[in-house]
Amino acid sequence: MPFRIRTVDVTATGREIVRERELGQAELTIGRAAENDIHLPDLAVEQRHVRVVPATGGKLRLEALGKLAFTVDARPVEEAAIIDPSEGAELAIGSYRLEFLEEDGAVVIVVRKIAAREGSKVDDLAGFSLAHVLPGNRPVAWIGLLAILLAFLAVPVWSHMTRTRHKPDYDRAGAVLMDASWRTGALSSAHHGLEDNCEACHVQAFVAVRDAVCVACHTDIVEHAARPRQAVARGPLARFEQVQWNVAHAFSKPGPGACTDCHTEHEGSGPMERTRERFCADCHGSLDARLADTALANAGDFGTHHPQFKAALVTGPTLAEVLRVSLDRRPRQWTGLRFPHEMHLSRTNGVAQMARRLGARGGYGDPLECADCHRPTEDGVRFMPVAMEQDCEACHSLVYDRIGTTFRTLRHGNIEQMRADLLALDARAPRVTGRRRPGQYGTLYRADFGGPGTALLSRAMGEKGLCGECHTPAGGRGSLQVQPVPQPMRYFVNGWFDHEDHKQEQCTSCHAADRSDASSDLLLPGVGQCRDCHMGESNRTAEVPSSCAMCHSYHPRNVTVAALPRIARR
Amino acid sequence: MAAAPEAQGFADRRRASDHESFLAHKRLRWLKIAAGLNLVAILGYAFAEVEPRPNGGTWYGYILGTIGALLIVWLSLLGVRKRAMTPGRWSLKAWTSAHVYLGLALIVIATLHTGFQLGWNVHTLAYALMMLVIASGVYGVWVYALLPHKLSDNRRELTQAQMVDALAAVDRQLEQAAQPLDRADADRVIAALAQDPFGHGLISRLSGRYRGCRTEAAIAALDAAAGDPALERVATLLGKRLAQLEQIRRHMRLKAMLEVWLYVHVPVTVMLLAALTAHIVSVFYYW
Repeated sequence: MPFRIRTVDVTATGREIVRERELGQAELTIGRAAENDIHLPDLAVEQRHVRVVPATGGKLRLEALGKLAFTVDARPVEEAAIIDPSEGAELAIGSYRLEFLEEDGAVVIVVRKIAAREGSKVDDLAGFSLAHVLPGNRPVAWIGLLAILLAFLAVPVWSHMTRTRHKPDYDRAGAVLMDASWRTGALSSAHHGLEDNCEACHVQAFVAVRDAVCVACHTDIVEHAARPRQAVARGPLARFEQVQWNVAHAFSKPGPGACTDCHTEHEGSGPMERTRERFCADCHGSLDARLADTALANAGDFGTHHPQFKAALVTGPTLAEVLRVSLDRRPRQWTGLRFPHEMHLSRTNGVAQMARRLGARGGYGDPLECADCHRPTEDGVRFMPVAMEQDCEACHSLVYDRIGTTFRTLRHGNIEQMRADLLALDARAPRVTGRRRPGQYGTLYRADFGGPGTALLSRAMGEKGLCGECHTPAGGRGSLQVQPVPQPMRYFVNGWFDHEDHKQEQCTSCHAADRSDASSDLLLPGVGQCRDCHMGESNRTAEVPSSCAMCHSYHPRNVTVAALPRIARR
Repeated sequence: MAAAPEAQGFADRRRASDHESFLAHKRLRWLKIAAGLNLVAILGYAFAEVEPRPNGGTWYGYILGTIGALLIVWLSLLGVRKRAMTPGRWSLKAWTSAHVYLGLALIVIATLHTGFQLGWNVHTLAYALMMLVIASGVYGVWVYALLPHKLSDNRRELTQAQMVDALAAVDRQLEQAAQPLDRADADRVIAALAQDPFGHGLISRLSGRYRGCRTEAAIAALDAAAGDPALERVATLLGKRLAQLEQIRRHMRLKAMLEVWLYVHVPVTVMLLAALTAHIVSVFYYW
């Protein structure tokens, strides 16, 4: 295959001069020496640099003759490379570029000198990197940094510092901007209205929430006990606790004994986190060791470390005799009444029979039930005092006279009126021989208290008498005075029991009324009975793990022992 | 190529060297330390008596938070430290090994610090940014372990500059070869030559799909079968150009995969430091 060497020179004015010559030989050499077929006057080129020899299939083999390499299509070649002129190839040696191509069956070699050594510029190579198409890390980082610091730090801090201060107000929205982003969690339902008013509590920057802020709204909160007494009760702190408090004080935390020690906020919506047993047990678990004069027994855990309940009882007819006594001592109370629960709850005796007769018309079930006489208070927590007119008189009728279709009834509690009524009855003839309930003619039941008239009055205080059947006489002979009938609304001074929460239970599963034959029986369940379901807070097997706060309130309100908040709210 | 066997030998020698990855540094010393740290943190979380429930606001939460914040600051100092290579106990390799493993340990420490209470606030922002940084870092370690040998396989002993030069060489030949072409075909060649091989965005680079490639378009449009030798030659050269472009693109793709995580890791670290500052200051500000 003949070679056609085409040399292209460029004049100073930029004009190209093309010279062409034909070489008939099969191979040729390229180098700096003049005897080469292609002579390249450049010191970077070896005297004899490359030999071009034919290879199979019309291809050419370029062989290095010296030690210096050359490049073919920008690829460095150290020894030899095969090229195909019909596809084209570019050989670069020194400052010369030789383009191989095929024209009319001849291999054309176009020789050009490059003005300067061409190489890829650094700019080109930068294109390989992502930096070529992405914004730099620095600007992105700076913008992000400034945006975050501005939105989440500068704006809230600035607006907190420049706000106008108001008295804490539950209904006022906060003035600090962007501080919602600082909220570590939702407030409890009680404080939900303050959700948007952080500065109501967080008054001063870098100063932990103080008690004064809480008391500003909770004005009726009274100290649990005198502060010095509390400090004595708390006793010296354990070493680790002391360390914790030292750190806390270094960071301006108030306490121990501050509101926020027990009442932690931002724990999520819903009721406030219940105060843990430990907060009480820390002092009360071994209170007598530090407060020698305390009247309180130690208590640290309801299930395992709680004294028997003490009931506040009236023990005698002078109501001043109130005694707080442990249920373990099986105390008896003074009620002023003769009232056997057992008889009233029997399913077989006369009482049951009477209730059956009165039946649904009188609002009774089959035999008597507790609820027939005991009505809960409106909040369901406790029970109303039993009232004669409402709860007893349906059976224990005080009807003493009948005139035509009208029945006359004695007035319960009004002694003088009663005496006058009965005396008037005596003076009148004929006497009534029987008394019936309105609308119930011909029944057996009547006030058969030993005969009509005078008998009714004179025997009233006897054991089967009109009054004495239930009441304890208080006056002398002929007097209708009875002993007072105390009906305590609460037996437990320091704890709270909520009947409403226990209404799934049978009354008799706690109160052994169906086995009580005397009104002096105290029908209160002891701590052991409560433990059937309630055990300490940490007891995982109990039906109801119970912390102190379930029954006890920490804060006295208006100096008396407070109802639990959930009870007080009803 | 005659150079190939020798290149192979070089690669073998390189592999046989006593190179120890920063991941395996000192027989996984930092992996063990980080795992120990996590174990202690988890046990502490399980057994610490905190009221009323575990979160960042308890004494244990403060301890975890302090450790986490110090770790974050220290981890982000790698950017400063890596600019000074030193040997020895605190060699850059040791530092990088610690960076990786302690960074992973931070997942546990920071998550326990949150007490699993997350919300739409600056505190969770800091946590989310931190997790993003760690995730991008994990990706970074993964591609660094996986891709470099693919990168050198693809290079076939060419430097980046040589790849560009090779493309330029083909382009010059194309320029000459296309002289006999008519207007329409010449325009196609011009369009192909004028297209910047680096002019494509992040998506093209990462996916390796270049929809607007004019070289491909020109190859498809040229009627090389017509028997015109000039056209045939141009088509052949365009094919060579495309082959060269594809090598460059594979190179760019691997490079992009190797680099892209840093575009998350570094700026998000800086943002994390800002969010962390806001987190800590805000907690004490509304104390």
